[in-house]
Amino acid sequence: MIRLLGLQPTYMPQDVLEFEYRIANIQRSTISAVEVSVVWLTEGKGTEDLGVHFFQRLTGNSIAASDWSIPQRLQVPLPDSPLSYEGRLLKISWCVRVRFYLNDGTELVAQQPFYLGTVTREI
Amino acid sequence: MRPRLRLWGKKRGGRMSGWWFVGSLGEALFFASFFLVGVMCFTTLVGWQFLSPTTQVFPIGYGFWLLISVTASFIVMGAVGFWYRVLKVATSDEHREVIAKHGLVSRPNRPYVKNMLPPMVPILAPFTDSPGAKLAYRLPGEWPGTGALISIGLFAMAWNAMIAVFSVFAIGGFLKGAIQYRLLMLLIPGIYVGLRAGQLFVKSYIKEIGIGSTTVEIEDLPLVPGKSYKLLLVQYGRLVIKKLSIRLVCEEESTYHFGTDVRTEREIVRLQNILDQGRSRIDWGRPLELECLVTIPSDAMHSFQSLHNAIHWKIIVEGEANRWPSYSRSFPVVVYPHARINPSSQTS
Repeated sequence: MIRLLGLQPTYMPQDVLEFEYRIANIQRSTISAVEVSVVWLTEGKGTEDLGVHFFQRLTGNSIAASDWSIPQRLQVPLPDSPLSYEGRLLKISWCVRVRFYLNDGTELVAQQPFYLGTVTREI
Repeated sequence: MRPRLRLWGKKRGGRMSGWWFVGSLGEALFFASFFLVGVMCFTTLVGWQFLSPTTQVFPIGYGFWLLISVTASFIVMGAVGFWYRVLKVATSDEHREVIAKHGLVSRPNRPYVKNMLPPMVPILAPFTDSPGAKLAYRLPGEWPGTGALISIGLFAMAWNAMIAVFSVFAIGGFLKGAIQYRLLMLLIPGIYVGLRAGQLFVKSYIKEIGIGSTTVEIEDLPLVPGKSYKLLLVQYGRLVIKKLSIRLVCEEESTYHFGTDVRTEREIVRLQNILDQGRSRIDWGRPLELECLVTIPSDAMHSFQSLHNAIHWKIIVEGEANRWPSYSRSFPVVVYPHARINPSSQTS
């Protein structure tokens, strides 16, 4: 589960995005890797493009050192662009994405969208 | 109910209707076999050369080196293709993107720097490297007809050169008293095509040159939403303009795969009239100069450029002139997001 700690899911460029994520009902020993990323992606008529603004991969000792019973909190300063946008041929959206890789090969993905800027959405 | 395993899937550009894992596995196996075939052939060639040079079918020479380079290219293509496919299956999209950007060795996320270029916005340098005569910058022009003019010119040149060579043969034969009728039969339509191509090129050239060049100067770059900027249009030439209009246009551009084709679609999503000018006469040495203000809407999206998608802002000049076909010239500009108003650090 991912939770944005801002009052609204709309952030301005250069704001700090604060969020937390946690995993329930999974034992720490079964987790082989965790990837946390803040990404933008394009959708629409064109081939999809993906940009990674923030990426963190935890494996081995880093996973063992974390207490997964409490939410993991992160702060990521946001860039100036690209702003969230909903056009006719393309849409640019932002999200926080967390992937848990378990030892048995299972991959759990959760993502939480948010808006950067107010080009297509008023606060 | 959808079958759980589909061996044959339809590929629609980057999207597939089949089970993606089978496709990726198939591709990986294909490149692995490519690699193995390459290694086997390479080893056989080199081993044979060293162990039993007398019975070698390909003695060292052009043929041998050609085979060596072909098998080596099999090895390289197979290895690269195989690992690319394996990475595609074994890593997430985000991780692959980070590897592509920073390499396999992971680096800590860079700290936030306020004066960094805004990501995914076109760089300013190509727009600001030409100073204007009255305003700060002269905008680079994008003339849609230029590509066609160059293509026609190249075709006319190549075709007429070929016809000239054949004509020399035909004339040589004629002077020797041996008229080559088959060559003449080919030359007659060839000369006609060459003349028409030359005529088309001259016509297009006169159309481009005759109307005269158009320059647009702007007070400042990059443009920022909510702000107004002075704009100067200078139309050169010797003609009577019936109507001239300047527009600010925002255009979305998407590139996608359609089967084996790569297609690009464009759509104007915002159009703002800046100026409409009625009838006016332009002469050599007395160009038409029009000054106006362009305001970027406060809710405007900034310029954006990614691998397959883009948002472009342009100043479009459209004109209708007496005895000339109507014309349209486009001058791209860069719009930055609201927060970024410090262009001086980026222009240098």
